[in-house]
Amino acid sequence: MRETYSVALPKMNLGELTGRLIVIEGTDGVGRSTQIKLLRPWLEQQGHAVLDTGIKRSQLAGRGIQQAKEGHTLGRITLSLFYATDFADRLENEIAPALRAGFVVLTDRYIYSLMARAIVRGLDPAWVHNVHSFALKPDATFYLRVGVDDLIPRVVFSSGFDYWESGMDLYPSEDMYESFRKYQTALLAQFDKMAQEYDFTVIDASPDIRTVFERLRAGISRVLKGEPREPLFAQPATEVAVQASDRSEAAGTGKTDQPAAEH
Amino acid sequence: MKRYGEHRFPGKLFVVEGIDGSGKSTQLMLLHQWLQSEGYGVVFSEWNSSPLVRETTRRGKKKQMLTPATFSLIHATDFADRMEHNILPLLKAGAVVLCDRYIYTAFARDVVRGMDRKWVRELYSFAVKPTAAFYFRVPLEVAMKRILEGRSGVKFYEAGMDLGLNEDPEQSFHIFQGKILEEYENMIAEFDLTTVDATLPIEEQQGQMRQIVKAKLAQAKRLRVAP
Repeated sequence: MRETYSVALPKMNLGELTGRLIVIEGTDGVGRSTQIKLLRPWLEQQGHAVLDTGIKRSQLAGRGIQQAKEGHTLGRITLSLFYATDFADRLENEIAPALRAGFVVLTDRYIYSLMARAIVRGLDPAWVHNVHSFALKPDATFYLRVGVDDLIPRVVFSSGFDYWESGMDLYPSEDMYESFRKYQTALLAQFDKMAQEYDFTVIDASPDIRTVFERLRAGISRVLKGEPREPLFAQPATEVAVQASDRSEAAGTGKTDQPAAEH
Repeated sequence: MKRYGEHRFPGKLFVVEGIDGSGKSTQLMLLHQWLQSEGYGVVFSEWNSSPLVRETTRRGKKKQMLTPATFSLIHATDFADRMEHNILPLLKAGAVVLCDRYIYTAFARDVVRGMDRKWVRELYSFAVKPTAAFYFRVPLEVAMKRILEGRSGVKFYEAGMDLGLNEDPEQSFHIFQGKILEEYENMIAEFDLTTVDATLPIEEQQGQMRQIVKAKLAQAKRLRVAP
């Protein structure tokens, strides 16, 4: 039966949630939405009904968050709770009903991104975990991972630096590049920590779109068939524990010369 | 991130709590005027009033989109915004901050709506502990009479209509407030609330309140902005 991380929300009958919940996680610009665009028709061709959803898309709070962020005046606790509101609305009004109807739910980010951002902004990890503890445990979380050196060209050459993605609220004295680098490095460290804690399937997102897609497909096929995870894609625990600076180099090996070929 | 506890800021924080119709807002208004006349720098902050979140809350209530979870989280967001941008900086600056409703309102309402008791308390653990929290204790029937005589009707969420307690708003309101009252009663000891008998004459309640506030401000003469 489906479980939550701790508390269950009122009227959320866990036994009814028979669909599959698949999370695609990863930092900004790693190619999550591109992959979800490919995964959806692939799943539908096999006869699965698919719901795809993502952060800030709730009817209740999506617009409010957008407006609040434009003002750049959000406190860090406020920001975290506003996102949690958005998440709860989507969980109750989109994700749970789809799971109840037997859908495959593909979610672009989940509580892990929300928690990583909050913790990087200095909030107490125990508090952050409690706030999000009503979330449903997914059937699988695929973590698309690239080092910060690989990430920079992808972001700069597609959309440019964004105030919040660059953590400018955290490092206001830096230029966007320096701030982005610091912020995304800190986020990566949090994601790597959570990869172990929450048993993510880590997929190296530095190869071309097709290769990443094939790996995701293989992993999702296994989840849908109820097979055990392919160990090949699971990052060894020792590698996860490597220092942040080493990690970005390792992940970016041989790739820095051909940045963002897929964008 | 500080956890709920005694703050060491120069300012003072006084809050009023109680069910609808307990008279707490009237008492806070009278306290506000008195503190101002005594020359203190006083700032008032009301539950559910952050401009940042207002639009979202308004939409959610109007379209009845709120569930117990989103009701709880949107009010926590509102409170966090006021805490981060208003209450905390004011306490640091040495103001006397008065709050009409505080975290105890959320504890009572959210738990009655079915949210986990421990989860809600932890959710608000970033809040500053008040210098004194006045709980205006009133029998349900007295409060109901005050409320229902004074207005044309109660609103959907105020009456707890989202809980499906009763199809009649007045009946639902009655049951809902009764459950909230129970939660308040249990919090008196848990959070060391200062109980005021809200059936006493208004002047007498105000007298008790001023006496307590005066004692708490005695060590802090420098809060006065005027002689």
